[in-house]
Amino acid sequence: MTVANSARAAAVPVAGAGVRNLPSPPARAGRKDARGWRNLIWVLPAIGLLAAFVYLPLVQNLGFSVLEWDIYSGGQTFVGAENYARMFEDPIFWKSVVNNLWYAGISIVFQVFGALVLAALIEGLRSDRWRRTLRAVYFIPSAVSLTVAGLLFYFIYEPQMGILNAALDGAGIGQFTQAWLGQENTAIFGIIAMSQWQGFGYCTLLFAVALQRIPTELYEAAAIDGVGPFRRFFSISLPLVREMSSLMMIVTVSGAFQVFNEVMVMTGGGPNNSSQVLGTWLYRSGFVKNDFGYASAIATAIFVITLSLAVLQLWYSRRRRVEW
Amino acid sequence: MRKCTYPKAAALLVGASLALSGCGGSSAAEPVDVSAEPEYSGKLSILTKFGGDPLEPYFEDLAAQYTELHPDVSFELIQETDQSIKDKTKTLTASQAMPDIYFTWAGNWADNFIDGGLAADLSPVIAPGTDWGDTFGESSLEAFKKDGKYYAVPLYNNGKFMGYNKKIFEEVGLTPPATFDELISSCAVLKDAGYEPIAFGNKDGWPGLHYLQQLFAYNVPADVLQADFDPETATLDDPGYLTAMEEFTTLVSECTGSGNDSNGVLYTTAQQALAEGKSGMYYQEILEFDSTAAEGTQLQKDGLGIFKLPAAGDAPGDTEAIEGSPEGYLINARSENAALAVDFMKFATNAENAATLSAPPYGQPSAVKGAVSEENSSGPVIEGIEQVNEASAGIIWLDSVTVPDVADAWLAGGEALVSGSRSPEEVLESVRSASEAAK
Repeated sequence: MTVANSARAAAVPVAGAGVRNLPSPPARAGRKDARGWRNLIWVLPAIGLLAAFVYLPLVQNLGFSVLEWDIYSGGQTFVGAENYARMFEDPIFWKSVVNNLWYAGISIVFQVFGALVLAALIEGLRSDRWRRTLRAVYFIPSAVSLTVAGLLFYFIYEPQMGILNAALDGAGIGQFTQAWLGQENTAIFGIIAMSQWQGFGYCTLLFAVALQRIPTELYEAAAIDGVGPFRRFFSISLPLVREMSSLMMIVTVSGAFQVFNEVMVMTGGGPNNSSQVLGTWLYRSGFVKNDFGYASAIATAIFVITLSLAVLQLWYSRRRRVEW
Repeated sequence: MRKCTYPKAAALLVGASLALSGCGGSSAAEPVDVSAEPEYSGKLSILTKFGGDPLEPYFEDLAAQYTELHPDVSFELIQETDQSIKDKTKTLTASQAMPDIYFTWAGNWADNFIDGGLAADLSPVIAPGTDWGDTFGESSLEAFKKDGKYYAVPLYNNGKFMGYNKKIFEEVGLTPPATFDELISSCAVLKDAGYEPIAFGNKDGWPGLHYLQQLFAYNVPADVLQADFDPETATLDDPGYLTAMEEFTTLVSECTGSGNDSNGVLYTTAQQALAEGKSGMYYQEILEFDSTAAEGTQLQKDGLGIFKLPAAGDAPGDTEAIEGSPEGYLINARSENAALAVDFMKFATNAENAATLSAPPYGQPSAVKGAVSEENSSGPVIEGIEQVNEASAGIIWLDSVTVPDVADAWLAGGEALVSGSRSPEEVLESVRSASEAAK
């Protein structure tokens, strides 16, 4: 039964309820209005907080993005869409967008599809003890803060003392050693790899919870019909965790466009701006180059990109919702 | 009155936000009287660059001593590190919450506060010829002079030198090189003996800029170099820039152990390599001497020597110039405690406190005349300060002497030179574009 059906069933009047006791329509409407206002009072604090700390800054940011702002003198001059025009001509802005897209693409592969496969494998184990142990093992990196993980991986990648190059040397493939974060063609991928390590276990845990909610009868029936594990995964598990997959896609892609900490800690966007992402380029434009109007324009771009992707994914996943 | 101009069409869009952001807010304050007699009461807020060990206790002790003398004065200390103070300062500036006293570098960094009316004119109390001003070396005061006025209290001097391990040099039969070619030759000798010739970590980008700025001073005529720092007068077409960048790439490839990988190495890792006796040389600031050769390090046992980064024999620029500049403190022009702030900075720079600052563990050579002496400072610090005083000119750091857009282009270019992804010509072209755009 779907949630919508159960809601309809609950709305049907109970047989035998006295019609005489029902108040007249205007009185009923007035009571409903009063209840509505009382309910509104309860949600007002939350709306107020959201307005103050989410929507107002958004509007403010939009305002700043059309200004040239000298933080020293306080002078603010309206420049219209100039900051946006500059942004579209800025090669480092586009480099940052490409890096964010790499981040999003690789994160979808590892943190959505990879985590789902791993969760299915773990939940398919017979031993409850192993299931619990493996969930914990994969989750532990997510308990490490991004800043700490960034520093940890910085030293793993360090060209002279890092264990990655030492391991490659030890394995007899020393020709592959390099300054992973010090070379322009590898820096962003070194950061993305760390991020996958850090976020993979959290996604696996969420998928494991979603998989546990699927009735075992479906798997049992499929098994009786002679369906193999691959087909069971693609025909039962995958469709029935679609909502969790959509949520994970939104969270992962939005997160990929808001990434900041790990890049700042590991490379600061360098070398030669090769690992800049939108977040770090925003920061650099504002706090290093004193160009706060331009930084606000980048912030608006990040907001538009993440909101568009989230709306698109929500619309797509709702069209294909499966309920049982 | 602050400038605030909008076309009507945009007024609705940005109106609400600007009302909250403060456009059209308070008008410029009246000039503060820094020479007034202070009232010894109230709270002084100070933003320092002495966050973390070993520097943090310096201002804490000063504040405690001052409160002992004047019990009605209390302090709010905001202590940041070299890296974090940039963000902190800009956040406080943007939110119009600057403290009474705040740290500054010389050059464009200080100019921004002066031009924005955020730094009090201290000329009546600190200009040469005044009682307080005469306690400082004149070049230290000049570093913060603009349009004939003196704005900052110089706290300590600084300069960049090649530090070397005396024992290793003696072991391989080297003496400090006198020319750039001799420096490159000495690298081969150190390599053959199993040492990393020059430890270099460019993860943050600025260590590379320090080499470049000193080499620019040697290879670009001084007047051209000064003109090129300002986008309004910059041409950036002197061939000396290309020579300097070629010298830098030669040094990276011939002398550093990490070579093209140096962008992945922290500068502290490089510093540690010299401290542990693994490398022969490391390019460093005077402020680092005492921590590199700290008690118990191999370098302290072997002995730290210093020499100026040598110039090529035929370099057309100022080969007697040394990169480095004093660092100081500005008084907030809008502070209600300006006179008290001046009094506190006089206390901070009196002979006794200046000597404390120059001595280990702080090791910050005070800008006060006579504060650095054999009694309180290490040999390399004294030698470094003497060379800075004798230099023909002090060249301000490349990342603070010019506007941020140009500095950022140099930073990215320096990293590209290290990794070998761009040629000196391409780097110069990108800097020229940034300078053009910043006009």
